[in-house]
Amino acid sequence: MSQPRKSVFITLTLVLMLAAVLSACSKSNTASPDTSASSGNSGSKENIKLRMTVWGSPEEVAPYKKAIQNFEAKHPSVKVELQHIAADYDTKLTTMVAGNDVPDIAMMESGTIAFPMAEQGKFYNLQEFLDTDADISPDTLVPNITYSLEPGNVIGIGPGPESFGLFYNEDIFKEAGIEPPPSNVADAWTWDEFVEVAKKLTVDTNGKTADQEGFNPAKIKQYGANISTWWGVYSNFIYSNGGDFISADGKTFGLNQPEAVEALQKISDLMNVHHVSPSPVQSKNIPATNVALQTKKVAMTVDGQWASAGLAQSKFNFNVGVMPVMKEPVTTVVCGMFSIFKSTKHPQETWELLKALLDPEASIDMLTAGTWMPSPKDWYTDPALLAKWTENLDARPSGYKEAIVDVILIKGHQTPTGYVKNFNNIMDLVNPALDKVWLGQQTAQEAMDSIAAKAQAQIKGRRDIKE
Amino acid sequence: MRKGMFYGLLFTAPAILGFAIFTLGPMIASLVLSLTDYNVFKEQTAFVGLDNFTRLFSGEDELFYKSLGITFYFVVLRVPAVILLSFGIALLLNLNVKGRAIFRTIIYLPSIVPAVASAMIWMWLLNPDLGLINSLLSRLHLPTSNWLYGEGSVIPSVVLTTLWGIGSTVIIFLAGLSGIPRQYYEAIEVDGGGWFRKLSHVTVPMVTPTIFFNTIMTIIGSFQVFNEAYILTQGGPNNQSLFYVFYLWRTGFRDAEMGYASALAWILFIIILFFTFIVFRTSKSWVYYEGGDRT
Repeated sequence: MSQPRKSVFITLTLVLMLAAVLSACSKSNTASPDTSASSGNSGSKENIKLRMTVWGSPEEVAPYKKAIQNFEAKHPSVKVELQHIAADYDTKLTTMVAGNDVPDIAMMESGTIAFPMAEQGKFYNLQEFLDTDADISPDTLVPNITYSLEPGNVIGIGPGPESFGLFYNEDIFKEAGIEPPPSNVADAWTWDEFVEVAKKLTVDTNGKTADQEGFNPAKIKQYGANISTWWGVYSNFIYSNGGDFISADGKTFGLNQPEAVEALQKISDLMNVHHVSPSPVQSKNIPATNVALQTKKVAMTVDGQWASAGLAQSKFNFNVGVMPVMKEPVTTVVCGMFSIFKSTKHPQETWELLKALLDPEASIDMLTAGTWMPSPKDWYTDPALLAKWTENLDARPSGYKEAIVDVILIKGHQTPTGYVKNFNNIMDLVNPALDKVWLGQQTAQEAMDSIAAKAQAQIKGRRDIKE
Repeated sequence: MRKGMFYGLLFTAPAILGFAIFTLGPMIASLVLSLTDYNVFKEQTAFVGLDNFTRLFSGEDELFYKSLGITFYFVVLRVPAVILLSFGIALLLNLNVKGRAIFRTIIYLPSIVPAVASAMIWMWLLNPDLGLINSLLSRLHLPTSNWLYGEGSVIPSVVLTTLWGIGSTVIIFLAGLSGIPRQYYEAIEVDGGGWFRKLSHVTVPMVTPTIFFNTIMTIIGSFQVFNEAYILTQGGPNNQSLFYVFYLWRTGFRDAEMGYASALAWILFIIILFFTFIVFRTSKSWVYYEGGDRT
């Protein structure tokens, strides 16, 4: 007699559960348009609360707090709640969106979920604000730090642009009697010059260098160079060689084209032919750039300018030069961006907050520590402002102004994540194939040709051209 | 009887509710979602019927088959290794030696180390150039390996790292071993049987229910391997450690294709169900229950 009752009870529970789950789903589907509709008239100025999510180390979050303080001082009616998500940021933000619990403004990354979200209309078009704002416009910002879904639809602005340079240990060059990398872009090394120097600075445990007879590549004590196999690093050389991830018209996969293949092959040759740079397996032993250079495990390394913060703390003679040039000097510009969610009830205030976050004065500690670069252009062109973050600082060695500051303004290139549609899915094919190239098991041409047809099927065009 | 029913339900309610809310509810939701094109960022979700499943099986999604194959390979390697090794260790720990408690603690200790921490330790141990294991091997003039960084060696290496955490399986075996009545062994001693006879005629038959349980749990756990791919290898090199659940996670949380990921999840559910069923079916012929046939 109890059997039927029990099953009724359980069934009832299940039905209730299902109803709850389904209603939660439908709620998230309907709520967003409502809020965006009411966003136009945020007339009442009382007790506005904005929510913001960021990732980053505690030092990186500190400037956000400072910017928020400055902003709150100027806008007494607005309170900003800062939510610091230290790990699994994308997963958590995805969950927040699914649960319809979305912040007003969020730090986003072009390589992950920013564009998938933007494609579904989750973000404000910041172009509308840029067009009417008296303080900032695309012309007052460093090039390549705004991200656009398509021309005229800006979904995010980067608070701290980053570019790449050739960091090196000055003492190693002095001891070897070799001229260090030039910092002026006009004098930049060619690739062959770079390889020659790297050979001279690659030393095995018997003291032989890579250009000498009897050199043992299995027992290398000091690598002449370290060029990591991250796209952020190798993209510099693909662009420098005139190649691209995707053709100019956005229709063709670009990495199997001669210019890109040549750049990839030359990087692979550094590891597998010249033995002057650690392979992906060997690089598991190479510590972070600052330690690698300080302990003379590596003589020069291509890294983002953020490396200068760690280098400055390591207290040794480091410096930075321009990267070797294949055909044209180029540096890839990468940065996180701030995006404003469509669901915010206070777009104008959020925009003001975004501007406060871009203000280099708030993040001056991060600028002087070496981690960040400012986003307004006048901080590069106005000598007084430039001095604030580049002069008399451990993190800003003598080559910094020419090798990093000058180059980002005139030779900067948008990161591929910013303009290649469907970048992730293309790279899901490219990365495994490149593993074989870095290990020397296939040539770059073979590897890229082997996936070209599949990659071509994933090509969806470019964001920076009108279709 | 009615009253007993009421109290029974009352006291089991937390467990039943917990199961219903946090397991059954999401499962039903995911079953529904697997029939839609649910994308977290999209406003509209459309019912697409079995499209997700046909897309999976049509061969369009090569990574589906690839990750499935890799996961099967992992299961085939890991399950026998876990069962044999933990049974062997349990036998040793069941001996009446001095410091038994200490040995038991040591064996169990790795199980309480957080997964991330132990993964980091293994990354260091298995480092091809500096790692302890390769250093020892080369000192002994034995061949070394690229371990986690080699295409052929990555799965065996991951199996190796997971064997570290078999402490809880060992504990269950120990519980099974300690449940064997002493008089059976004494009977064999009287008949003049040695160590091997005791093992094959008493110990193994008597712990078959434990072996059965541990096998099922290990199969389920092995199919769901995730942490190792997430922390140790990120699916590399060349997708050779793209475990099924890691691929599922990437589809759901990086690409936001939750509907498709739900379909993936249900296929895994059915696979696990199938293998559990097989083991259950065969268990009738090899699992011995002292109290009679209770499967």
